[in-house]
Amino acid sequence: MRYVLWTVGILAGVYLLLLGGVYVAMNQPPQVFSKTVAHVPMPAFRYLFFAPMWLHARQGRLSPGDMAPDFDLPLHGTEEHVRLSSFRGERPVVLIFGSYT
Amino acid sequence: MAFYVVYIEEAHPIDAWQLPVNVKQNVLYANPKTLAERTAVAGACIKGLKIDIPAVVDDLRNTTERAYTGWPDRLYVVDPDGRIAFKSAAGPYGFDPQGVEAELERLVPGVPPSPAAPPATG
Repeated sequence: MRYVLWTVGILAGVYLLLLGGVYVAMNQPPQVFSKTVAHVPMPAFRYLFFAPMWLHARQGRLSPGDMAPDFDLPLHGTEEHVRLSSFRGERPVVLIFGSYT
Repeated sequence: MAFYVVYIEEAHPIDAWQLPVNVKQNVLYANPKTLAERTAVAGACIKGLKIDIPAVVDDLRNTTERAYTGWPDRLYVVDPDGRIAFKSAAGPYGFDPQGVEAELERLVPGVPPSPAAPPATG
């Protein structure tokens, strides 16, 4: 019986360490996170509470009501730039962050 | 209202965390090392996904992505006062076009949004 309890305890400890490690990785810069979690087998994600940890780790600092950080970025396919603050007093702006992969 | 894709660092580059779906769809790119490379991949994305929303390209320091925690994908609505009116949860789980639509309806009642947000890309 004690052997069983020890085994369960060790497995639970390893599992919690793994969860903690994944959560720490989620709080690293994206490429650090990616290279870390690339070593985790895909089936394991089913048991890692990935989604809730991810949503918590990637909350970010901005909240509704905050001033949107300004940017001045090149507009693809043109020589122009887009400055977010140029839309103030004019119209709402929808920002869709993403990449191809 | 204005819509912009903010093209950021790759979600699943071949030199980090490539997924089987990337191989299946032949969307295989290393994380760009120069702005020109990122711009080229953005162009491939725009063409491959037939995106008709203008895209701006974040710098290689990922300044805008870091300010907005936009990786791997995320939606925001900025109101005419320059304030965050809507912030989705982090993608892919939190990518919420319906939330954007609802917020735009609140900000500009009765005016249908322009092109629908493209599907989450990464």
